[in-house]
Amino acid sequence: MSTVTVIDPTMSATREIEFRDALREAMTQEMRRDPRVFLLGEEVAQYNGAYKVSKGMLDEFGPRRIIDTPISESGFAGMAIGAAMMGLRPIVEFMSWSFSLVAADPILNNAPKMLYMSGGQFGCPIVFRGNDGAGGQLGSTHSWCVEGLFSNVPGLKMVIPSCPEDAKGLMTTAIRDDDPVFFLESERMLGMKGHVPEGDYLVPFGQAKVRREGTDCTLVSFGRPVNFCLDAAAELAKEGISCEVLDMRTIRPLDIDSIVRSVRKTNYCVVVDQSWSFGSPGSEVASQLHQHCFDDLDNFVHRVHSADVPTPYAFNLEQEYLPNARRICEAVRSCLYRA
Amino acid sequence: MPTTVTMPRLSDTMEAGTVIKWHVKEGDTVASGDVLADVETDKATMEMQTYDDGVVAKLLIGAGDRVAIGTPIAVIAVDGEDASSASGANPAAASSAPAAPAPAETPVVVTGTVVMPSAHADNGARARISPVARRMAEELGVDINSLRGSGPGGRVIKRDIESAAARTSGGTAPASMMPVVAASAPAAAPSLPVVAGPGAREVAVSGMRQTIARRLVESKSTIPHYQVSMRFNMDPLLELRKMLNAQLEPQGVKLSVNDFIVRSCALAMAQHPYFNASWAGDRIIIHGEVNVGVAVSLPAERGGGLVVAVIRNADQKGLRQISLDTRALAEKARTRGLGPEDMMGATFTISNLGMYGVDNFTAIINPPNSAILACGAAVERPVVRGGQLCVGTELDATLSLDHRVIDGAMAAEYLTTVRHNLENPATLLV
Repeated sequence: MSTVTVIDPTMSATREIEFRDALREAMTQEMRRDPRVFLLGEEVAQYNGAYKVSKGMLDEFGPRRIIDTPISESGFAGMAIGAAMMGLRPIVEFMSWSFSLVAADPILNNAPKMLYMSGGQFGCPIVFRGNDGAGGQLGSTHSWCVEGLFSNVPGLKMVIPSCPEDAKGLMTTAIRDDDPVFFLESERMLGMKGHVPEGDYLVPFGQAKVRREGTDCTLVSFGRPVNFCLDAAAELAKEGISCEVLDMRTIRPLDIDSIVRSVRKTNYCVVVDQSWSFGSPGSEVASQLHQHCFDDLDNFVHRVHSADVPTPYAFNLEQEYLPNARRICEAVRSCLYRA
Repeated sequence: MPTTVTMPRLSDTMEAGTVIKWHVKEGDTVASGDVLADVETDKATMEMQTYDDGVVAKLLIGAGDRVAIGTPIAVIAVDGEDASSASGANPAAASSAPAAPAPAETPVVVTGTVVMPSAHADNGARARISPVARRMAEELGVDINSLRGSGPGGRVIKRDIESAAARTSGGTAPASMMPVVAASAPAAAPSLPVVAGPGAREVAVSGMRQTIARRLVESKSTIPHYQVSMRFNMDPLLELRKMLNAQLEPQGVKLSVNDFIVRSCALAMAQHPYFNASWAGDRIIIHGEVNVGVAVSLPAERGGGLVVAVIRNADQKGLRQISLDTRALAEKARTRGLGPEDMMGATFTISNLGMYGVDNFTAIINPPNSAILACGAAVERPVVRGGQLCVGTELDATLSLDHRVIDGAMAAEYLTTVRHNLENPATLLV
C-alpha cells in the first residue's frame, strides 16, 4: 500500500455535498494529480454517468481519459487490467456490481493474482467501482451484494463506505493503492449528503471508525447497513440498551483489532452484513471473534444478513429482506438475553 | 465408561434429595433429556433428567430413599458396557453417604420440568456457562455449581454471575462487609400450595425478584425487628437548601433532602458506632467504613424491583459529593444497571418514599445491616413552636432496628443526633 496521510476532517474546511459528488471529487483530484489515472465504463463520458457520478469529467479531461465503453464488462475490465499491468492506473465503473459477474474471469482470476503469478513482475493498480446491493425494486439479478462472493479471493482489497466523507477519503486511498481495489457503492446512498473535507483527503484502509459509542453491545457493520445500525442504536437507547456501532469501512483488510477492543468492553456482538449469511464477511467476523474473544463473550456472535433467498422485487418484501433496523433491534435483544 | 448419575443440586439451598419415583427401570434405554426420576428437595418436587444416552444399568437407591447431593443414585452404560466399572457404583458406598436433616417446612409440589437445575451437572456433563461468565466467576470467586442459569437451557450468563456476586458480596469485599447471616434461609415459598384461579395470570419471577424475596424473608424471619420513630422540624434545612441550590445552580448541583439525610445519618455514626455494625452470631462487628446504602426503585421497563446503591465513606463526603454520587448511581441503576461493586458493602441503609408523598412507613432491614431508616415526605403541618400555633414543615422518619445489636434507648439517642444534625443544618456543611 502506498503511504497515506490521515487528515482530521475537523481540521480542514468541509462543506455539505452528496455521496456522488464526494466520489467525483476524489477521482477528479487524483486525475489532476496523476496523469496515469483514467476512468472507463458504460455511459461515463457523454452521458455524464448513469448515476451522474462522472458528471463534467469528460469536459475537463477529454475522451482519452474519460472513456465510454461498449456493453461488454468482460472486454473493458480485461482491457483495463492490461493497462494497469503496463503502468496505468485505471478506474473501472460497473453500472452495477451485478453486471461485473460477466467479467468474473478478468476481475477475479487475473487482477488479484497477477502480482503473485508473475512473481512480482506485474502489479495491478486498478479500482473497480459501482453500485452494490439492493437499489430498490431492481429484481434479483440486478441487486447483487458481492461482498461475500468477492471478498473470498486473496490479493484484492474491498472497500465499502457508508457516508460521503468516507467515500472521498477511501476513494482517494483506493486510487493511490498499488493493488486491485473493489470499491462498493450503493445507489441508495448516492444522494446522501454529508460534510466532506476539501482538498487532499485520505482515509486509510483497515481502520474501523466508531460511529457511535456504547457499552452494552457491539454492532459491527460496513456500507449502507451501518446507517441501519445507527437507526437501531437510537431505538435501543430508548430501552436503555447502549450500542457501540463500528463502521469497518474496508472488508479486506479487516480491522479485527477494533472489533476485539469493543467486544472486550461489551461482551456481546451483533454483525450486520447485507450479503447472504453463508460464507460471508459476517461469518468471517464471527469466526475471528470466537477465536480472539472467546473468553469475553456472553453469547455467541449474532448476525443479521439479507434473507437467504434471491432478492425479492416487491417493495415490502425487499424491505423485510434487508438487514433493517427492526431486525437489528431484535438480534441485539436476543443476543443480550432480553428477547 | 459407564456414567454415574448422582443426586443433583436442584436448588441453591438443597443439601439432600429424595427420589419420590423412578420413571425408568434397569435395562431401559434412555436418551439425553429423558426424565429419570421425580426428586423432592427442600422446596419442591422436580423432574430429574439424564444428560447421557445409554441403558440404565443400575438403580442404586430405591423410591423413597433420601441421600445427600453428590451421592451416586444410578448408572447409565452404553450397550455392552459393564456397569460395575462406574465410579461409586457400589450400593454400599452409596448408602454410607450422610443423609441431611429432614426439611423444616412442607415442600411445595412444583409441576414442570427443570431443564438445567444447576450450571454443573453432577454426572460429569460439562457445565453450561458462557465464556465471559466463567471468567467472571473465577475473578469474583462465585461458585458456579450453586447457580441456576437464566440463559437458554439453563446457561449461566454474565448477569447471573453479577447478581450472585452482589448477593454474596462476592469474594472481593473485605471480610467485615460479608453477609454474616448464613444464606440458608428458605426462599419465599408459601407453606400452602398457591392455586391459580380463573382469570389469574402468572408472571415469571426474575432473578432480582428472587433475590429480593430470599433476602427479605431471611431478614424478616431471622432478625428481631422493632421500630422507633421521630419527627424532625425541616424548616431551617429547607431554607438552607433553597439558598444553597440557588447558589449552586450554575455549577449543575442540586441538593435533595435525601442528600442531607444521608449526610446526617453518616455523621451520626461517629457517636453511635452500633448503627454501623452487623450481628455475627457470637459477636458484633463494628465496621470501619461508613457506607450508606440508598434504595433505588427501578422503572417497569427495566423489570421493576429495587436495588441498594452504596455511597462509600459517606461520613467523609460533603453534601455536593453525596449528591453527585447518588445521582450517578441512581441514573446508572435505571439505565445500564448497577455492577456488583456499586451494590456491595452497605453498612446502613436509607429508604426514602418522600418523593411519592408518603407520610411515614417502616422498612425491612437490609442484611447484614443492623438498621434502616425509612423517610417520608417533608410536609407542612400545624405545629406548636414557642407556645404558638403556626405552620411548619416536618418529616417523619422511622428506624427499623436489629434488637440483637441495638436497644431502644440507643435508637432514641441516634435519632436525637440525627435530629440535631437536620435541625441545625449548618453543621452539615462542615
